[in-house]
Amino acid sequence: SKGPVPAVITEPKVTIPECFSHLPMAKRIPITQADKDVHPTVLALGQQMATFAIDESIIRLKATLLAFKKVIESYNTPPGNTLARHLTPHVLNPQIDYLTACRPMCFSMGNAIRWLKLQVSKIDPDVPDQEAKKELCVSIDNFIQERISVADLVIAEKATDMIKDGDTILVFGRSNIVERALLHAHCDAGKKFAVTIVDDPYERKGQVLAKKLAAEGIKVTYSGDFGGLRWHAQRATKVLLGAESMFHNGAMYGKSGSCDLAIAAKELGLYIIVLCETINITERVATDSLTYNEIDPERSSAASFRLLYDTTPSAYLSVVVTELGSVQPTSVPDLLRKLEESN
Amino acid sequence: MAPPKGGYAPSLGKFLDTLKSRPVNASVESLISLLKRRQINGSEACAIATAHILLQVVAKDKWSDVNELLGRIQLVGKKLVASQPRELVIANIVRRVLGLIRDEASEDRNDNPSDSSPDHRDPMNSPLPPAASEASSPTRPVRPPGALAQLGSFARTQSMFNLLSDPDFTSPPWSNASTPGATPGIASGASTPLAHGQTTDVHAFRSEVIDGIEEIMDEIKQVDEQVQAISEIIIHPGDYILVHQPSRTVQKFLTRAASKRKFTVFLVVDPSTTSAADDAYAPFRKSMASSGSIVVTVMNVGLMAYMSKANKVILGARAITAKGGVIVDAGAAAIARAARAQGRAVVILGGVYKISSENKFQQEELIEWGDPSKYVNFADGAMVSQVKVKSAVSEFIPGGDIDTYITNLGAHTRDHLHTILTDHYKEEDMSFDIYGKGQR
Repeated sequence: SKGPVPAVITEPKVTIPECFSHLPMAKRIPITQADKDVHPTVLALGQQMATFAIDESIIRLKATLLAFKKVIESYNTPPGNTLARHLTPHVLNPQIDYLTACRPMCFSMGNAIRWLKLQVSKIDPDVPDQEAKKELCVSIDNFIQERISVADLVIAEKATDMIKDGDTILVFGRSNIVERALLHAHCDAGKKFAVTIVDDPYERKGQVLAKKLAAEGIKVTYSGDFGGLRWHAQRATKVLLGAESMFHNGAMYGKSGSCDLAIAAKELGLYIIVLCETINITERVATDSLTYNEIDPERSSAASFRLLYDTTPSAYLSVVVTELGSVQPTSVPDLLRKLEESN
Repeated sequence: MAPPKGGYAPSLGKFLDTLKSRPVNASVESLISLLKRRQINGSEACAIATAHILLQVVAKDKWSDVNELLGRIQLVGKKLVASQPRELVIANIVRRVLGLIRDEASEDRNDNPSDSSPDHRDPMNSPLPPAASEASSPTRPVRPPGALAQLGSFARTQSMFNLLSDPDFTSPPWSNASTPGATPGIASGASTPLAHGQTTDVHAFRSEVIDGIEEIMDEIKQVDEQVQAISEIIIHPGDYILVHQPSRTVQKFLTRAASKRKFTVFLVVDPSTTSAADDAYAPFRKSMASSGSIVVTVMNVGLMAYMSKANKVILGARAITAKGGVIVDAGAAAIARAARAQGRAVVILGGVYKISSENKFQQEELIEWGDPSKYVNFADGAMVSQVKVKSAVSEFIPGGDIDTYITNLGAHTRDHLHTILTDHYKEEDMSFDIYGKGQR
């Protein structure tokens, strides 16, 4: 978690340095100040996102889609309107605006919401309300199944294939997909490997991963910060990184520190594997870490400042593993085209 | 009784206070344990402590000729280095003092080769130089004369030393107390024929060496001021300067520049002291703010995100090796690597006394591992029992990641460091294997 949550939800006075003033930051919006049209499930979700109780891109996406399912289920088209034309502007948009205000949307959410709006607009006006709603909910379920659940499974399997007996895998902090891949490789595929976890000392989520892996009998080395990073990289054979998103130019958007780790590993010629669901791929392009980023609201005050993400140029990555295949980082746009063709 | 200022924990200041009232060997042993326990920590403190203890050796120890003194300094130096082998400045100071003695010896020999004093072995009779005399005779236990008794309490230490030392290694001259001056100096190179060092006036010689050591101490103290002078050349108006856990040298460097121009400092703090860190840099932040510059405390460990914005990275060195590698606080190597990846300049600050002739260490060997409870609580059983926790205190930046070195002598390139080394150390001391015997 992100440290103690203040009992009173009041936004502390934050002064963001001028040079970072273009970057967004999560805000705690009191529920009373939310738009009246915001659904209670979404209200709760917004609070969870603002407090980083739900943090990772893919988990936020799943929670958002499930919440929107609830919104659609409780929706009734007012007389004189059609669902296809009314649902998005009058019901979905306030939810989206609220969620975005709580915490800047991640790329996967943007992608999925675009998809959802397209599905809504495709609903035939002649179809009865109940049927249309059911149809939407089924497609959301299918979407979650295909793009998240099965995708994670496929990625974990593909990553397992890349892990060989005797490997030492270097990971950064805790990422859901990386944890899954490591556990899958050890428990299901019986691979024998060791793991070195280099953690972000401000989040320390790597300790959660360390305990989980150690409990399964994996040999784990843990470093709380980047001290001696090269030493750790020298003893590793592969690097496994979970991506928050992939940009169109093959750069990886990941937890702040991923890039530094990748540079150290690349310098030693390690194979750097990025795990990423295709829903996280964005059509945008970033050449530095300050184009797209987010300010940590918990640790940014008048006296301090913290960025949540960084951008790793494609040169420091070896392969991107997605559910549609493993490609070179610069071939990420091909995956997007593949997706468009299949739809 | 109120606790003394700064608590009971030993520190450099307390150690220096005890120097005058203790016999030299007790002080040496005390410093060794302080170094081992890292209670004297940081390169500047280690350098000053080393200089002080060597001054005590020169001032209070019994020695009759240059070779004996060199041997004594080398032995104490080895012990100190062995107690904190990763603090290269200790060996640097030892080498500087050795070089100083050699210089003085060759000068004396040229000046006045006939003058010798027969009573030099008795400290009671010899007028000590001002620095040491005030504390010397009254409090110092007087040892009865005679070879055996003279060895006194450290005879055992000596025999242990012989047991552990290399058989090929010549025993220190003073172990053979009955024939002072007969043993050749351990590392006396061919370039310094010191065999007739005995003929010099020991009193004058002693005070010259002491003056020299005091000059070294002054040099260490003046580093910050002299390094500051270059700050305006390095830092330009509107720059974004990234610093990692800035030492006093770096802080002063920045404040001096801030007095002339406005810029922004990205201050990377030690992540384990997130709340206390605000206090540690509060005076610095205040003085920067008063001159209109901005200090942004960055709470990230990965600094690549900031590199597109930062113009320069300024790091304080713990030590600089002959090939240009630098020992820094843990975490700074990642910053230097990121800066190079982004093509940003990395500037290293540190006194000349931090430049070491040491060259044989590999990168990994120069990492000092420290307290694993920094991030992992000892109460966390699952972590403590099953996971191997590593926590680095200091690490090594290869010379290739660094652009400029700024010392009290000015700005240098990597290729120029060797010239500084040859200016400051004697060839025979550079090759003198100060680590070999102490580190096992």
